[in-house]
Amino acid sequence: MLSFFARRVGESLALILGVLVLVFFLVRLTGDPVGLMLPKEAPPEQRAAFAAEMGLDRPLPVQFAAYMTGVARGDFGESLRQRRPTLEIVAERLPATFELALAALAFALLVAVPLGLAGGMRPGTWVDVLARGVGLAGQTVPNFWLGMLFIVWFAVGLGWFPAFGRDDLSSIVLPAVALGFAGMGQLIRLTRSAVLEVRRSDFVRTAQAKGIAGTRVSLKHVLPNVAIPIVSVLGIQFTYLLGGSVYIEVVFAWPGLGTLLETAIRDTDFPLVQAITIFLSFFAISIHLLTDLAYGLIDPRLRAA
Amino acid sequence: MLRLRILPALLALAAVLVPTSVAQAQDELVVSLSSDPTSLFMPRTSDRTASNAAWSLFDSLVWIDDDGNLVPALATDWTISEDGTEYVFELREGVTFHNGETFDAESVVATWETGSDESNDYASAYSAADSVEAIDAYTVRITTPEPNAIFLTTIANNWAMVPPDYIREVGLDAFAQDPVGTGPFRFVSRTPGDRIVMEANPDYWADGLPRVDRLVYRVIPDGSTRLAAIRTGDVDVANRLTPDQVTALEGAEDVEVVQYLNDRVYYVGFKNMGAGEGTPIEDRRVRLALNYGLDRFGINQAIFSGQANAAPGFVVEGNLGYDADTMQPFPYDPDRARALLAEAGYPDGFEISMGCPADGYVNINEVCQAIASSLGQIGVDVEVDFQTTNAYWSEPNYAVTGPMYVDSWSSEFGEAIPRLDGALTPGNYYNTWEDERIANLIQEIQREVDRDARAELYGEMHELMREDPPFIYLYQPVIFEAVDADLEGYQPRAAEEYFLRSVGFAD
Repeated sequence: MLSFFARRVGESLALILGVLVLVFFLVRLTGDPVGLMLPKEAPPEQRAAFAAEMGLDRPLPVQFAAYMTGVARGDFGESLRQRRPTLEIVAERLPATFELALAALAFALLVAVPLGLAGGMRPGTWVDVLARGVGLAGQTVPNFWLGMLFIVWFAVGLGWFPAFGRDDLSSIVLPAVALGFAGMGQLIRLTRSAVLEVRRSDFVRTAQAKGIAGTRVSLKHVLPNVAIPIVSVLGIQFTYLLGGSVYIEVVFAWPGLGTLLETAIRDTDFPLVQAITIFLSFFAISIHLLTDLAYGLIDPRLRAA
Repeated sequence: MLRLRILPALLALAAVLVPTSVAQAQDELVVSLSSDPTSLFMPRTSDRTASNAAWSLFDSLVWIDDDGNLVPALATDWTISEDGTEYVFELREGVTFHNGETFDAESVVATWETGSDESNDYASAYSAADSVEAIDAYTVRITTPEPNAIFLTTIANNWAMVPPDYIREVGLDAFAQDPVGTGPFRFVSRTPGDRIVMEANPDYWADGLPRVDRLVYRVIPDGSTRLAAIRTGDVDVANRLTPDQVTALEGAEDVEVVQYLNDRVYYVGFKNMGAGEGTPIEDRRVRLALNYGLDRFGINQAIFSGQANAAPGFVVEGNLGYDADTMQPFPYDPDRARALLAEAGYPDGFEISMGCPADGYVNINEVCQAIASSLGQIGVDVEVDFQTTNAYWSEPNYAVTGPMYVDSWSSEFGEAIPRLDGALTPGNYYNTWEDERIANLIQEIQREVDRDARAELYGEMHELMREDPPFIYLYQPVIFEAVDADLEGYQPRAAEEYFLRSVGFAD
């Protein structure tokens, strides 16, 4: 048991280290910030002085060593543009992104579970056709395009919701629906197929034979059994939502990590790009680790795997 | 059976939650920003969006008015020494910073000292001065190493006056988070990535300004979202729109489209060093042929629906010294181009590579391909070499490209000197063409403090760069913005600069 935990934690740490190395060198392949940050007219002497000031004139291995030493101490460096600790900047934007991802997940669940349940309980009926149709749409429509469509319809056309920004509660509706749409599609299909499976079990047939009402069978007998696969993908869904929020945040001018990442990449703000990607990977890896560990606790057979 | 009550219930809930766009009070001006300002400390505002926002908080010694004239701001008067290297400014008395600190000669000295720190993006704008010293409380003497024609405009565009005591007390980083200036607006709050809120400075030294009580900048990175925001009335100014987006505004009530020529010249650069050595473009006649043989008018029509100006050279409309009568673009004359090529010894043309910064500017990929196709008509086989923008601009002298490359250069001084100097003074980072006559004339312009004399020199420069062109001149783009139809006094400038102190709403 202990060795299973140790192995999984060790693997995750190695993965995070891999991400650190990969991100550090990949962003540096994209160009030299000095050439891009300074005004085009900046004289060569100023470029040299600026590079020295920012530590960008040192050989790459030296920069990497310095960076890793910092990371070990919890120091992820300063943003080249904002001249502030990157962790501070990430922390500012984190709540907005979490809020949006949670709202998107809530939307996906609220639509997907009832629809998938209803469709799965009555396969071939109009509800099922609807469930499958919405599920397919969810998995195929690109979310940024949906976001633009929502803005044109519901903000500009109907005036029901704000077109952008993070203000009151109404401002989260459009981005959350656009972001959660794909996850919703996946969850509908998952719920529906799980329901189809459970529906065939003896205990459901018994319940129906006893004359229990359809709704009661769905909620009391089928739903709890379907809940297991749904809950197990939620964590992964959430990490997808965090990643997917980049497009949606830009479209809706939502001040989260997504818009920050977009700007940081465009500005070749290496330390900031590193901090954001490492944080997002860390989060995703942790969720996977926790899911794995939970499985291991529940199912002893997996510990050997 | 489970009845699907949840969806309609959700929709109903959504309908209840809908306060949305409440009509704005007309004393609040909301302006969109296409990116979140990196800093509000002027020397570190690394893009136009940031400096535009920052200028609402600050003033400089002098100010360039809407007609391009230098007028007093925090300096009421100034004199320039005979040799053009010494400036004495008389400062405005009774001006205070937003925190109550008095503006005086020490503030000017401190502004120069903090600004010249080499870690600042715009340190070079401050190192244009050799020394800044207080003669008395309200008199300052500034010296420059050499006569500098654009020194006053450099000050006007960069030297935002900062309060020394406050900076000493809180440090520069904290200052950048909570900036204090003498400007028309005071900083209230900032939500990163979202908005910057300012309020009118009640003690502003210019009478009757600013015209609104509150100023809010909203960060909206996506152009189509900015378009939506102006249509819903959530913002009063939506900048950086495309011609297509503006077309979508036709018939929209309460919205007015603003369009103006950008002071930015697109061009094809040549190299008479590195990859360009020993290639046909070293021959003057070949470079002339390429200028005559490029259908820039056709390109403007096809790619920009005619919404761009064919560039006559590096001195363009709105620049000092520009003369519409004598400065016209090269005509499209493929026959003459072929004749020139034949004269130069290339009757069947030649092959050459041209670098292109992929997606680096609006429609630039299409422009590069159109250039290749147009020059193909005169027998010059251009191979377009697309590069990522970062690689393109991070190497000195466009090292990643072949003998020709596409780029653009803007100017914020109403004069062509920044792009002339940047592109054509040997040794500069983006210089790829060395021509002694041009280099000497650049120096002469830089040292000529007299405006009229300078205008004349620009005329000479145009001639020189026309007879022996270091570039193929392409176009100047048109900028599109949309504003609330009731907005008054909004006058963006050719360098995409705008100042909001005299912007207000019609009653």
